[in-house]
Amino acid sequence: MIARLGHSARLKGSSLLYGLGFFYNVLKETGRFFRRSQVGYKVLILQILFTGYEALAINAVMAIAIGAAINVIGQSLLPQFGQSQLMYSILIIVITRELGPLLTAFVITARSGTAIATQLGTMVVNHEIEAYIAVGLNPISYLVVPRFIGVVVSMLVLTVYFNIFGLMGSFIVVQMISPTPIGEYLGTLMSMLTVGDVVSGLTKALVFGVVVSVVATYQGFSVNRSSTEIPVAGIKAVGQSFILIILTDVLVTLVQYA
Amino acid sequence: MPDAEGTGPAIELRGVVASSGGYEILSDASIAFPEGLFSVVMGAAGSGKSTLLKVAGGLVVPDSGSVWFRGADMGRFGRKDETAFRAATGFVFQDSALWADTNILGNVSMPLRVHKPWMGESAIAEAVRVLLQRLGYDEGMAMRPAELSSGEQKLVSIARAVIHDPSIVFMDDPTSNLDEDAAEKVYALLEDLREKRRTVVVVANSSELAYRFADRLGVIKGGTVAAFGPYDETVGRAEAALSGSLARLRARGSRTRAGRGEAGAENSQRGDV
Repeated sequence: MIARLGHSARLKGSSLLYGLGFFYNVLKETGRFFRRSQVGYKVLILQILFTGYEALAINAVMAIAIGAAINVIGQSLLPQFGQSQLMYSILIIVITRELGPLLTAFVITARSGTAIATQLGTMVVNHEIEAYIAVGLNPISYLVVPRFIGVVVSMLVLTVYFNIFGLMGSFIVVQMISPTPIGEYLGTLMSMLTVGDVVSGLTKALVFGVVVSVVATYQGFSVNRSSTEIPVAGIKAVGQSFILIILTDVLVTLVQYA
Repeated sequence: MPDAEGTGPAIELRGVVASSGGYEILSDASIAFPEGLFSVVMGAAGSGKSTLLKVAGGLVVPDSGSVWFRGADMGRFGRKDETAFRAATGFVFQDSALWADTNILGNVSMPLRVHKPWMGESAIAEAVRVLLQRLGYDEGMAMRPAELSSGEQKLVSIARAVIHDPSIVFMDDPTSNLDEDAAEKVYALLEDLREKRRTVVVVANSSELAYRFADRLGVIKGGTVAAFGPYDETVGRAEAALSGSLARLRARGSRTRAGRGEAGAENSQRGDV
């Protein structure tokens, strides 16, 4: 029993070390990516299109709905405590600092994290990765780095979009309950928005983007030989990403409020 | 170390042990592929041929032992050495391993884009077109690999391995999945590589390929190199029963054209190439 536990701990430990080594290599190759012209730019553009552009609609719908929901709940609860003026602060904190980056990360994990893990896993099984090595392309620099940069950039942009659409959704509800000129609504909102709110949201977006892309590519490359490992890699990519997103969310929040 | 004919090894494996999924595939495999010669390694399915080729081609890192490229230990390669090695080599995979999300032009042209970045788009497209035509591939260059038959995929994969004119070409069963006409086109390409004195390392089940081209013939059995040497010497060995393919080659008798590096007369012809 103890031997089994020890063996399992050793495996987990070596897997963690391997993961950290993988992350280090990704960072190292990212530094080199823009210093040389190479064929990886096409992969980067395609990744931004898929992860960022194609997720705009779903992100916008979700943001508008969440913004509206927060407003409906706030408008019914806050007056009971005589705190109606907190509505804008709550909107900013919940959407900009927390839900914007968090829900965007979940969307990207579900769409792009699984896609990246299964695509890379399929390439491993079909020996396409070996073929890249054979022609002299480093798989980390050609396949992982463009996806890493693409996901991080898309995460940042989509988070900003989420914030804008979330606050717009709230505005739509405001119009239904107590019509307010858009100038007044935005003016009040902007006066309450601090640099700290923006930095907090974008920091989380950056961290989540790194987490999703590194976990997905790592899981994709962890596929060994069998096609049955490919869906497993997709599932692991989602599960590990969700856990790491929540954990890093708590960590960043603690750092910001500590 | 130069071989009997004074040809030093282009690639040499020394005591290589390689495993996959917990199974040992190569056990203490040692072999030296001479520069400028055509080496064929045969063996039964599962004997470790493909792994041997991948280790030699720098695609599988051995658990122990070492691999040498023109006298340099590949285990100590830095980034520049690695790039130089890749520019000097081409690799044909057993199952083609074409990039599914890239069209045929993109697949074949990739080595040129990586190793000859100064070439313009039109020059690249022309080079790809000419080579594919020579191999008898007559489908469009905008097609995706999944739209091709396995034989056509093999032709494209061979084109990708030689488009940048490497000095060493590794081939894993290059004529599998090919009909006779297509195989003849590949043989013509192999003949051209032979004429140009490229180092060609082929692992194959095809005794026809070995009979036509092998300057050096090897047999791998149970993950170790059981025999490797000049064609006639290997075929004539008493333990030819090492491999059924060898027995078939022995049954075909002597070749009308001796392999290079095997006979003095042939050696004198090499100066003309």
